[in-house]
Amino acid sequence: MPKEYLTYVRKYADLYEGERDIFIKDLTPGPRKYDTKQVRALVARSAENLPGADTLWVRSEMGVLDPKPWAIKILKELPDYVKGRPYTDVFSVMNK
Amino acid sequence: MKDLRHFIGQLEQNEELVRIKKEVDWDIELGAISRRVYDQYGPCLWFEKIKDYPQGYTVINGECGTWRRVAIAMGLDANTPLREIYEEYEKRIEGRVQPNIVDRKAAPCKENVFIGEQADIYRLPAPLIHEGDGGRYIGTWDAVITKDPETNWTNWGMYRFMIHNQNFLAGWPQTTSQFAMMLNEKYVPKNQPMPVALVIGSHPLDHMVATAPMRPGVNEAEVAGSLRGEPVDLVKCETSEIMVPANAEIIIEGEIPTDAIVPDGPFGEYPGFRSGTMAEGVAFRIKAITHRNNPILSMTALGAPVDDSSIAASLTAAVGMKLGLQRRGIDVTDVYVPPEGVTHLVIVGVRTGGIEVTKKVLDFFIARRVMVSKVIVVDKDVDVFDMKQWIHAFATKCHPGRSIVVEHFVGKSNALTPCYDAEERRILKGAFAAFDATWPLEWPKENIPPRATFKEIYSQETQDKVLAKWHEYGF
Ligand SMILES: Cc1cc2nc3c(=O)[nH]c(=O)nc-3n(C[C@H](O)[C@H](O)[C@H](O)COP(=O)(O)O)c2cc1C
Ligand SMILES: [Mn+2]
Repeated sequence: MPKEYLTYVRKYADLYEGERDIFIKDLTPGPRKYDTKQVRALVARSAENLPGADTLWVRSEMGVLDPKPWAIKILKELPDYVKGRPYTDVFSVMNK
Repeated sequence: MKDLRHFIGQLEQNEELVRIKKEVDWDIELGAISRRVYDQYGPCLWFEKIKDYPQGYTVINGECGTWRRVAIAMGLDANTPLREIYEEYEKRIEGRVQPNIVDRKAAPCKENVFIGEQADIYRLPAPLIHEGDGGRYIGTWDAVITKDPETNWTNWGMYRFMIHNQNFLAGWPQTTSQFAMMLNEKYVPKNQPMPVALVIGSHPLDHMVATAPMRPGVNEAEVAGSLRGEPVDLVKCETSEIMVPANAEIIIEGEIPTDAIVPDGPFGEYPGFRSGTMAEGVAFRIKAITHRNNPILSMTALGAPVDDSSIAASLTAAVGMKLGLQRRGIDVTDVYVPPEGVTHLVIVGVRTGGIEVTKKVLDFFIARRVMVSKVIVVDKDVDVFDMKQWIHAFATKCHPGRSIVVEHFVGKSNALTPCYDAEERRILKGAFAAFDATWPLEWPKENIPPRATFKEIYSQETQDKVLAKWHEYGF
């Protein structure tokens, strides 16, 4: 069974295929559901393009769910935070 | 009344609380139940069995979600009229009662102490409140305490905080909050992490004070003491010098790093929408968790009014504004923040009206952070607490062409206001409109339209005559 993860983007169009750093929430049921980590991963619009991948659900800045999930393959775990001053846009740091 | 547990007893005596014994899922279900009960103006809910958590780890929602419950929290009769609640609150927040410092052995919040690696945030049944929220908001009906390193002034504020993971919470005290000012002015320039304590499940009036726009330098523990009518017991944190209410249910201690961030949000917010703002907040590194035996996690599934958020702000923001307007020399009678307007709409009564006074009122509201977007100014004969009266005045006395004053600004608006677009939110661009629903000062007295009510359009003589014969009319 593939694992399920959730990520947030400002707009759906911000997510692109390929290798990237991304914060993901683990949707495994139980008391630690939604635990968040940062990973380097391959993401693809559909599981067919990424055999053996896990499921990545996507929500927008308003929390609206994209009904069609993406696929994700975690390459490695990164620190659970990014460097930056308080109130800096996390995405702008990650996209640098 | 010492703490939340005493308050729960009072709520039960007044039939304002329902215990839910059936197991409820912290993941969405608990929030959905709470939201539905708000939509129905229902009771405070105490969830006694939470899925994935042992018996005894409970959650309470909506403790101050109605005026009756606010009155009970203040030790007043549950049926106290709104105007009297406002007056009593206004009187009490001017007072100061010195807190009582207690030893950690005497502090219930230290019954369980977990430091460093031992502090597991997932011990606590934090809810995922609204479907689609960016995380489990463990801090909603909370009080976040920080300390100015130079003056030792301590600030309390109610700000959202969600669980990021085992190590971090993520939150978003607005950049215009005291929290942000302290962080940005006193800690960031020195690259020093800011110690912080997140208080959950304290006396309801402690949380009320945390929602109040108090001026910097005001010791909110002293104000809470005055509101409660007895000193607040305070105890020192395990990992910092911060003093926290000793009878609180849960304390999460930590620090705000100046060089690390984690994504916060989005969250179903107080304007009644999940109006965005995401990943632009602060990280909270968890250093310790202390809690009472059988801890009660206080929360509010905030959203469309009326709920704890719109009720608390209705009281604390309105009285703050009234005092602020008076300090500016504006002769206000009363200020009302209707909960239905979620602090975006404010009604100001003035003794002397006119467009110039309305402009002065506007200047007050846009001077610093602009959290409000519309104010209606009414004459002194309008009871601002009576929605029928101010809607009538607004509809009829505010000239659409010359009684509306609008100001635009950048860098100080409310990022959560639903009508602002993404770009406006990012640069805090906004606007403010003041609606003058008072009679123009230059109108001759005899040309002011008399209001057609029994008391106003009939002479005293007619009124007396009618009243004397009232029973004879056969009602
Ligand atoms: C339930 C609730 C949640 C709130 N959450 C936030 C928040 O996340 N960020 C924020 O800046 N203000 C929030 N507020 C408003 C602040 O509590 C209020 O502005 C208060 O004055 C802040 O304290 P301060 O004046 O010390 O900054 C919230 C209010 C309520 C009632
Ligand atoms: Mn404060």
